[in-house]
Amino acid sequence: MSVWFDAHLVLVQATFVGLLLALSIQFPLRMGVFSFAGVGSYAIGAYAAAITVLRWEVPGLVAVAVGALAAGLAGLPLALLLARLGGLYLGMATIAFDLILTVVATNGGDLTGGPTGLFGAIADITMAQIIGVTVVAVALLALTERGRMGRRIDAVRDDPELAASMGINVRRHRQAAFVVSGLLGGCAGAINVLLRTTVGPTDIGFGLVVLALTMIILGGARSWLGALIGAVVFTWLPSLLAVVGEWQHVIYGVIVALAAIWIPGGVLGLATDAWRGLQQRRRLRELATARPAETPAAQRGADEEELAVLEELVQETSVETQR
Amino acid sequence: MTADVQGTAAPADASARPVLQASDVAVHFGGIKAVDGLSFGLTPGKIFGILGPNGSGKSTLLAALTRLVPLTRGSLTFDGQPFHHTSPAKVARKGVARTFQTVRLLSGLTVQENVELGSDLHGSSAGSSAGGSPLRRLLPRRGVSAPAVAEAIERTRLTGLEKLRPGELSYGTQRRVEIARAIAMRPRLLLLDEPTAGMNHGERREISVLLQELRGEGLTQLLVEHDVQMMLDTCDYVFAMNFGKLIAEGPPADVVRDPAVQEAYLGKKWRQHA
Repeated sequence: MSVWFDAHLVLVQATFVGLLLALSIQFPLRMGVFSFAGVGSYAIGAYAAAITVLRWEVPGLVAVAVGALAAGLAGLPLALLLARLGGLYLGMATIAFDLILTVVATNGGDLTGGPTGLFGAIADITMAQIIGVTVVAVALLALTERGRMGRRIDAVRDDPELAASMGINVRRHRQAAFVVSGLLGGCAGAINVLLRTTVGPTDIGFGLVVLALTMIILGGARSWLGALIGAVVFTWLPSLLAVVGEWQHVIYGVIVALAAIWIPGGVLGLATDAWRGLQQRRRLRELATARPAETPAAQRGADEEELAVLEELVQETSVETQR
Repeated sequence: MTADVQGTAAPADASARPVLQASDVAVHFGGIKAVDGLSFGLTPGKIFGILGPNGSGKSTLLAALTRLVPLTRGSLTFDGQPFHHTSPAKVARKGVARTFQTVRLLSGLTVQENVELGSDLHGSSAGSSAGGSPLRRLLPRRGVSAPAVAEAIERTRLTGLEKLRPGELSYGTQRRVEIARAIAMRPRLLLLDEPTAGMNHGERREISVLLQELRGEGLTQLLVEHDVQMMLDTCDYVFAMNFGKLIAEGPPADVVRDPAVQEAYLGKKWRQHA
């Protein structure tokens, strides 16, 4: 185990960084905010951590905290500026934000190291610390997927007008999404720069947007678990495909295309649908067996109606599965 | 421009201060006057109805009352406090709940969770027992639901269907889930946009009884409905609209006999029967 772990340490570290980056894009998407600003936050976090380490030689965790906070704070004015936008326009505006940061990094002089970037950002950060930071972030996000907060986020995403009618401040939720995305992206960038000790304009480009999106598309956009699946697959897949040489990029592209076409909900969505199908069958059986004769006529009528709808759904599911 | 007929507070309790007071409310979409200068008051503990043909502005009026569409003109007060510049979320937090003309449930949530969304307005679904800590309120508590949720589910006859999702329900049952969600908000004013559309006769009667029970508990309601019999059975006072204006108001039986209403909404056939 230890030998295997040591041999694959870089990939393990990259998986955690990839997960945090994917989460920074996924969290706004869960609120219906089509924002790629997480990649810009990654850049801010990386540069902030590198500058902090190079100038003040702070411990690794402090540098990560500085990177995350800097990106989180940058998310606030961005939220105020862009929260009114939606859909494709918001996506384009946030990609522009990412590209502007690349230009700023390239022309930042001594502060950002210019086109060559910053080197020698060496600070102690252990694997346990990386795991600890990621677990805390994931645990907090997992809480937002359940209970009251989960329902409110679902409402903000699926039907903002309904959400507002339920007393939910939709705009504030969307603004918060930018800040949380900033914290997560900043965290990913800061950890990555401390692991690699270097960051430059070429490390923070459009490629990261594509990488994070593919992780979410394949894994699933509705839960942190989807981001984890995507991060694992797309961090490890290139190395596994190394045996096919030049064809690896073609196979990689085909997998992404097929996933987008056939499993739009991602691997997690597929698993969730299967689980719900099983639950549906179980409820159908329960409803079929638990219809006591003493049930009032009106209630019985309603139950039978539900039963008919359920039977129809199960038949449809069976036909889909057979196909 | 004002309405032809100016609405007033319901006569049954004219001395009571209206829960909601609308004054010269207008909503225009470009040249289309969807609502055009309505004034009325809703006194506490009564069921008010809005009658009118399709496109007469009933649903737009509900959207204006919940601030989902901006007013072109006029003012609104809730408990004497102006709220025509308030956000929809704040209106809900003041105690105004609503259902929609087309069912709007969250398809990914179960019946129970959809109803809990209403009770979330007042804190955790676990109710006051969850405590006030924000982190604690975030924590999901399996199998524990607020009394408001359990009560709303029971009153709308959804018991046993809690784990189903909207896609597994008939249209009429989805309507009941919407009503349960609104009741779970424990509102002071309940706005219902065609709540019995898609329901059979028995279900309509049950909803009518439920609304009357809620009235007995002091809940003020404003009901938009096409079913005239439902209006006659349920409402204390009815406003009739056409082309965005009030054309009649009064006790339901009087309003449906009003020649202007019969011509605008009910047609000649009803007029012959009346």
